[in-house]
Amino acid sequence: MGVWNYIWAVIRREFRIIQEHPIYIFGSVGVMLFIALFFFTFFKGGLPQDLPIGVVDNDNSSVSRNFRRQLDATQLGRVIEFDDFSQARLEMQKGKIAGFCVIPKNMYSDLLSNRQPSITFYVNGLYFVSGALAYKDLLTMVNLTNGAVQREVLRARGVPDNQIMGLIRPIDIDTHQIGNVYTNYGYYLSNIMIPGTLELVIIIMIIYTLGMELKYETSRHLVKTAGDSIFNVLAGKLAIYTVLFSAIGLLLILAMYDWLKFPMQGSIWNMFLAIILLVLSSEAVAVFLFGCLPVPRLALSVGALYSVLGFSLSGFTLPLEAMVPWIRGLAEAFPLRHYYLFYVQEDIFGAGFAGWWPEAIHMLLFLLVPLVILPRLKGAFINQNFPKE
Amino acid sequence: MKEKKTFFGQWLQDFWGICTHELRQIFSDWGVMLIFFVAGLAYPLLYNVLYMRGVLNETPIAIVDEAACPESRRYIRELDATREVKVAWKCINMAEAQKLMQERKVKGVVLFPSDFGQKLAHNETAVLSIYADMSSFLYYKNLLMASNFVMLNEVGSIQIERYNALGYTGQESFQLTKPLLYEENNPYNRAFSYNFFLVTAILLLIIQQTMFYGMSMLVGTQREKNLSFASLPDRLSGHGVGRVVLGRGAAYWLVYMAVSLYIVFIVPAIFGLPQRGNYWDVILLILFFVTDCVFFSETWSTLISRRETVFVLFLVVSPVCLFLTGTSWPTTSFTKFWKLVSYIFPGTFGVQAFLNMNTAGGDLSAAFTQMFYMTIQTVVYYFLATNCLYLENWVINHKRELLELREKIDEKRGLDREENAYIIGGEKSLKRVRAERQKLLSEETDD
Repeated sequence: MGVWNYIWAVIRREFRIIQEHPIYIFGSVGVMLFIALFFFTFFKGGLPQDLPIGVVDNDNSSVSRNFRRQLDATQLGRVIEFDDFSQARLEMQKGKIAGFCVIPKNMYSDLLSNRQPSITFYVNGLYFVSGALAYKDLLTMVNLTNGAVQREVLRARGVPDNQIMGLIRPIDIDTHQIGNVYTNYGYYLSNIMIPGTLELVIIIMIIYTLGMELKYETSRHLVKTAGDSIFNVLAGKLAIYTVLFSAIGLLLILAMYDWLKFPMQGSIWNMFLAIILLVLSSEAVAVFLFGCLPVPRLALSVGALYSVLGFSLSGFTLPLEAMVPWIRGLAEAFPLRHYYLFYVQEDIFGAGFAGWWPEAIHMLLFLLVPLVILPRLKGAFINQNFPKE
Repeated sequence: MKEKKTFFGQWLQDFWGICTHELRQIFSDWGVMLIFFVAGLAYPLLYNVLYMRGVLNETPIAIVDEAACPESRRYIRELDATREVKVAWKCINMAEAQKLMQERKVKGVVLFPSDFGQKLAHNETAVLSIYADMSSFLYYKNLLMASNFVMLNEVGSIQIERYNALGYTGQESFQLTKPLLYEENNPYNRAFSYNFFLVTAILLLIIQQTMFYGMSMLVGTQREKNLSFASLPDRLSGHGVGRVVLGRGAAYWLVYMAVSLYIVFIVPAIFGLPQRGNYWDVILLILFFVTDCVFFSETWSTLISRRETVFVLFLVVSPVCLFLTGTSWPTTSFTKFWKLVSYIFPGTFGVQAFLNMNTAGGDLSAAFTQMFYMTIQTVVYYFLATNCLYLENWVINHKRELLELREKIDEKRGLDREENAYIIGGEKSLKRVRAERQKLLSEETDD
């Protein structure tokens, strides 16, 4: 009975703190709202369209004009014409165009006389997505032109149409994108960036609320309120934030997989579970970090460093196997990594419990980590013997 | 008493005084030192280590060869030979391959349907299917590129066979299959390597963000101690705004020129990132960028009232800034709104200019637009910073009125700060809150 009273007292006390300092609401609800707004609106359409692609047409024939027109008509590309190579190169160097191609002089007549003219194209790989897409677009156009020329030649030589296709295109590839049929960047990045930001916000917020107790020397009173038990202190404090962040997390999952119809192979209920596990494990990490370093400012700096690294080490952009071996193991220490693996199983493959149970256990294991530092944290709270700033 | 000085002499003296004062503040605050020097120096190294390889090679894939014909086997051998993928498993059927994919032993599947060889023999189009794990787009890119390369190559040789069958031989059939040749160039980032663009962007953002966090921390600290950064020299009766903004700025500028030179020249050299820019061009760019960042930070740090709040409110801005530079999602596809938001940050232009100049090897003209925008930003932020200073001074001089206003609002909200203080921190806190209030009310507001 007594324990509940103590925890309840801590909860009521925490409400007072939140009421007095709007930063607790801004820092959690406000920040997550902003991030959700950003990721849901930034990648409009999911795949860039009408990328500026330069064409230097030295030929000016019907074939080269047709090439230009067709390139312009692709969904990805928008043609910008240049008079010479150096002008186009400079524009590409400035990042104004994603790439360009040079159509050689006499292309048409060379084509007619089988002299195999060569189109040269250049892409700027420093603007990653636009460069890669421009590359794809230009390559497709060259291959289509090739096919078109072949078809004309074959027709002229009297090859029947039903044979032509087999001659021009003996092999074709049918591509299936598992888990993101539309190659949608918005879906791809938001799926992990949003929970990742939630992890970041939780870690910072929990360290902040614990740190402020030390900074304003209210921690001793807090431990007293909690009946001299650090367990009650954490139970009370974290109860509020767990409810708050779980609610935010559930709303985000609901927004992604229900309202905005992100692709989902599995069940949204399992993703609810995933986000709650992420919330809990992030809180545990935050408590652990603060327990190790009960100096508010230092703990915040370390928490910031840690949580920003989490994005890279989750391995959803550059996969872990492309990193140096001795850094890969580090990824296990980030709840976001396990959330990502959970998400892959549930969302992309729809594997269900059989697929993600190891990740769920990993995330639950994080909850044990703070136990190590509880005595130290209690000492810090009572003695207030660490630098306050 | 002091002798009378010319305006300029006085200006310089004040400027120097403020600048050295701020430097002393920076170097005596180890939290700020931690951010400026440990984070500023270690972060660039850390990110380079993370993205050191930058390229994903040999993605494991599974093959389901239902055709089992010479053509499919050759295709598989060639796939295995590409840099992008590695044939890790050969499966009996799709179900087995799917299971491997779900267990994440393979990141893609290539399926040759049973009619693959037959169709090739009949001079029809044979279709093979690829299935890519989209959990990372790099898996997809690798599988797609590898299978396309092999396809184009195979198509070439099959076409020649078919044309031979139709009676075209030798050079003629080669010319027919490839009437138009192409040559591809990706001069700045040959292998679409991740670190070339991402790490470069992160490097400059580290300059912007650490400066902002550090400065905000210091502003918060000074506010807590009731020593505002904004206090103007008294004798100036409100005219010294310029020298305060510039004097404080100069302190950060000095520190950050040093940090930036390290980040921009030494770090890329350690990790072999391209440094194709002209040395003095890059120096000039850094001058523009750091100056811009200083006024940017001076403006926005005004929002910070307590030492630690900057992380709580603005840490999430870092990843957002990275996207706003346009190195991944292209600037031409930004919506109007986010385009406008991207103009807020010096990093947007700094990163682009640095990429164009140092990584792509352009001269100043390749970064002219960005430097022009940075100049505008610098001017705008300078004026905003001076206005923030006025505002801050007004706040300092109207503390009492503001306290009264706050108490009125509290009353409406039903917030009793003294009661709160007692519950939160006991007798001690209550005393402190009362004392603070008393102190504020008794203070003479100087006008």
